[in-house]
Amino acid sequence: MPVFKTPFNGYSVKFSPFYESQLAVATSQNFGILGNGRLHVLQLNPTITEITSFDTADGVYDLCWSESHDSLLIAAVADGSLKIYDLSLPPTSNPIRSLHEHAREAHGVDFNTVRKDSFLSASWDDTVKLWTVDRPTSVRTFKEHAYCVYSAAWNPRHADVFASASGDCTARIWDVREPGSTMILPAHEFEILSCDWNKYDDCIIATASVDKSIKVWDVRNYRVPVAVLNGHGYAVRKVKFSPHRMSVIASCSYDMTVCLWDYMVEDALIGRYDHHTEFAVGVDMSVLVEGLLASTGWDELVYVWQHGMDPRAP
Amino acid sequence: MAMRELVTGGAACAVPGTSGSSNPLGALTNALIGSSSKNQERLREIPTATTTTTDGNFFAGTEEPFAALPGSEFEHPLQPNAQGSEFLQGFRSADQNRFADAWDEIQRPQIPHSLGRDSITNIPLEHGPPQRVLSSFLHSFVHSGHGAIPFRPTSLPVLGLSEGDKQCIRDRSSIMARHFFADKSEDFINTQVNALLSSLDIDNDVRSRGPMPRRFPELEEIWNESQGMKPGPYATDGWVTEFSQRQIEHNDPNAWVRSFERQHGANGWATEFEREQSQLASIDQMRGANISSLAAMEHTRKLAHTLAQNNDPKFQNSKFLQFVSKMSRGEITIEDNQIKQATISAPGDWAAEYQQQYSGGQTWADQFVNEQHSHGQGWVNEFAAERQLHGSVDGEWVNEFSKLHVNDWAEEFEHQVAEGVLGDSAGDNWANAYDEYLNQQVALKQNSESSRGVYVFSDLNPYVGHPNPLKEGQELFRKGLLSESVLALEAEVLKNPDNSEGWRLLGIAHAENDDDQQAIAAMMRAQEVDPTNLEVLLALGVSHTNELEQAAALKYLYSWLRHHPKYGSIAPADQPDNLYYADVARLFNDAAKISPDDADVHIVLGVLYNLSREYDKAIEAFQTSLKLKPRDYSLWNKLGATQANSVQSADAILAYQQALDLKPNYVRAWANMGISYANQGMYEDSIRYYVRALSMNPKADNAWQYLRISLSCASRNDMLEACDSRNLDFLQKEFPL
Repeated sequence: MPVFKTPFNGYSVKFSPFYESQLAVATSQNFGILGNGRLHVLQLNPTITEITSFDTADGVYDLCWSESHDSLLIAAVADGSLKIYDLSLPPTSNPIRSLHEHAREAHGVDFNTVRKDSFLSASWDDTVKLWTVDRPTSVRTFKEHAYCVYSAAWNPRHADVFASASGDCTARIWDVREPGSTMILPAHEFEILSCDWNKYDDCIIATASVDKSIKVWDVRNYRVPVAVLNGHGYAVRKVKFSPHRMSVIASCSYDMTVCLWDYMVEDALIGRYDHHTEFAVGVDMSVLVEGLLASTGWDELVYVWQHGMDPRAP
Repeated sequence: MAMRELVTGGAACAVPGTSGSSNPLGALTNALIGSSSKNQERLREIPTATTTTTDGNFFAGTEEPFAALPGSEFEHPLQPNAQGSEFLQGFRSADQNRFADAWDEIQRPQIPHSLGRDSITNIPLEHGPPQRVLSSFLHSFVHSGHGAIPFRPTSLPVLGLSEGDKQCIRDRSSIMARHFFADKSEDFINTQVNALLSSLDIDNDVRSRGPMPRRFPELEEIWNESQGMKPGPYATDGWVTEFSQRQIEHNDPNAWVRSFERQHGANGWATEFEREQSQLASIDQMRGANISSLAAMEHTRKLAHTLAQNNDPKFQNSKFLQFVSKMSRGEITIEDNQIKQATISAPGDWAAEYQQQYSGGQTWADQFVNEQHSHGQGWVNEFAAERQLHGSVDGEWVNEFSKLHVNDWAEEFEHQVAEGVLGDSAGDNWANAYDEYLNQQVALKQNSESSRGVYVFSDLNPYVGHPNPLKEGQELFRKGLLSESVLALEAEVLKNPDNSEGWRLLGIAHAENDDDQQAIAAMMRAQEVDPTNLEVLLALGVSHTNELEQAAALKYLYSWLRHHPKYGSIAPADQPDNLYYADVARLFNDAAKISPDDADVHIVLGVLYNLSREYDKAIEAFQTSLKLKPRDYSLWNKLGATQANSVQSADAILAYQQALDLKPNYVRAWANMGISYANQGMYEDSIRYYVRALSMNPKADNAWQYLRISLSCASRNDMLEACDSRNLDFLQKEFPL
């Protein structure tokens, strides 16, 4: 299975929603504590080669692909800015936009998959902001969290609903048509680093926390979690629902592993990959190829593999 | 617009790939007009972007989605949607200064960031590249969580971190540490973060601009309030007073119990305690939206006051805010009347520890309640029995009791702080080590501030009185006995303080022996004596490049050119007050055209490209000069350091090996070799090279620090003690090369 070495520490990896062989990786120097960043766009053929890369003056913590234009990428940069890149233009003409409103590190971005015209950014300034690609300023700022917001995720079915995960130990559900959050989920007793919606049941959400667990919630009855997935040895950094299988979740953790879970069955842990030698901080599942996984970590490696295979196998 | 065009017309000479404008005129224009030439270019490219995207509507017709995007009215309730479209029309026509300004406004914040942040990516040439050292240093910080290894403060070379860099390190490491070290106590996290910050010479005054005060402004207020608050009687305190009073009045414990019971009912005391507990429990509700819970705030206020009585500034700065913020985030919960960590009770956490210290996990009040219930008799009986047992006089018990238990627990806590029983012993050790280290640092800093640029001579120099110490020094230097050579040369310059060659050689010997402070000091003396010595000027230019002092480096390199017999004519005689990088680089490129076979010019170019972080060009320049001077070991070292800078550590090792083949006693190259191995994650190998470097010059302090980092990265904590005690024999046996 192919591997790609990045000069900086990996932070996030995402498959293109348009081409099954394209993916992008966000990286930061010095673990994102200090230094530059780089966004790589990679091609699977079947080894991994770099199509292009973009340098930034600060670490890149996250990225997302546009759902409407196959060449557009949005990067969340540690200096608080969001940068929009157009792959059809040479690197010297990029980024085509730099949106700088967040007062602190931008830690997560997510593109709306229903409306396909807007995206969210989550920041350590405790806010989530709503943007469109064409406006130079944000459309809205959602400020309710009491600590860093680490990620925000659009609901896959409702164009106006999204969830946010924060270090204030809550996840919140928002409807952009409403002035405030519509639901506060005190989901964990420790910081929540990531959240994602089930792609088949629009009421199911998963949260991942520093408390090492992933919890699955039904927003119609949020007093008790639908499932608690224990198995990671350290903080769970990202959680992602499968685009193909309703009950399958992928996660990565500071315990350096990537895990696959089926939250509906009793022995929920269905796969564990310990191919990274440093914190695993980015994981994604391809929408176009079932079972194709990608991960990145602070060992500066990007792996792409088919579920069930050894990511390190040559 | 026109003026900007005019002035920035030379933007083509800006070095591509650098994020900041290297064009001084451009920089000037930016300062004057408040824009960037780069933005101008980008601006012009946007219409192209429109046409090249697959969907022609990408930038066009933007008005509609904006207006249609639900919820946008919440953000701009007073602005009609037309505002957006007006803006966008301006965008499409793209000929309005108004738009340019608006776009620049968005773009501008990017520029200072890139300039400020990039400083870190510069890596000195000669000795261990701090950038790469920083990387492995952060690495050992990040990994210290795994083996619960205390991360010891380490003194690092000057890294040239800007204030912005420091702020980033401070904020990000504090936030991230809470993710990595979730298993560890808050105490552990603080020690780790503090050790990191103090090693990097970053002020961890959380009240200045750290993340915490901003995160919890309301708690900050309480803190300030409590600072000015008069110590009012607490519930327990009042009880003590009351108790003592009554005790004096009646001098009979039973009577006191009766009167207490009369006042509060049989279980009054317990009730009161429970009330307190319920206040504590309400902290639980502070999680999430209930942060304004009054009872919790009341308790927080008390806590703030209690902790304010401790005068240790370090304590006030971190632990208090950490603990309070932890409570406010619900990381501490109340279960079974005990304060607990939300998950596994972390060792060394002071709150938990405090509870444990306190009557073995049960509060005394609990015990009292239990006893009252189980024995069916008041504790007074027990007290009486105990009094008989100890045969103590009336009142002594009260004193003792109030001293140990009844007295407000703040005092007890302070007491414990004073006694150092907080945290487990390991945590304590770190704290001590940390304090010790801070003191050392203060002393060191005072030392270095006063001594910077002042040459410090060795005591007891055997070469004083030597008939020809310069010759001896040259001979020793040639043989590679650097430390001996330093002594001989010191004797020379003591004898002839005006001998610039003596000072110059001394400087070079120090540089090769990995002591930059002394090297710079010696070179400065050499320059005083002979201001036009080309080799001295070049050495000073390199040293200042290493220290990330661009202005000084440019000054010396420019002087080098000015005083060079061949190139003096291309440099304007009147040296401008402010030298710009691009000008100096241009002059040297001209010089290289005049005589392409002058290795020195290529060396200076290599140094200059390191200043501008164009490592590929720098490597090329050094390789060119190596073709002309293949046996210059310091040149091979420069090449290696530059390759290490551009993340080519494997190539760097080859270059260092060349340097070492030419000069086996080149301490600096041995140490650099270690750094390159460490950068590739080959810590065991790096240790061997550091140990070798140290065996040649045990005074190379930097190498000791690098060694320590590699030891902890390689999980060789068993060897840390040998490293700390500088037990070279032991280390050499363990890590032979």
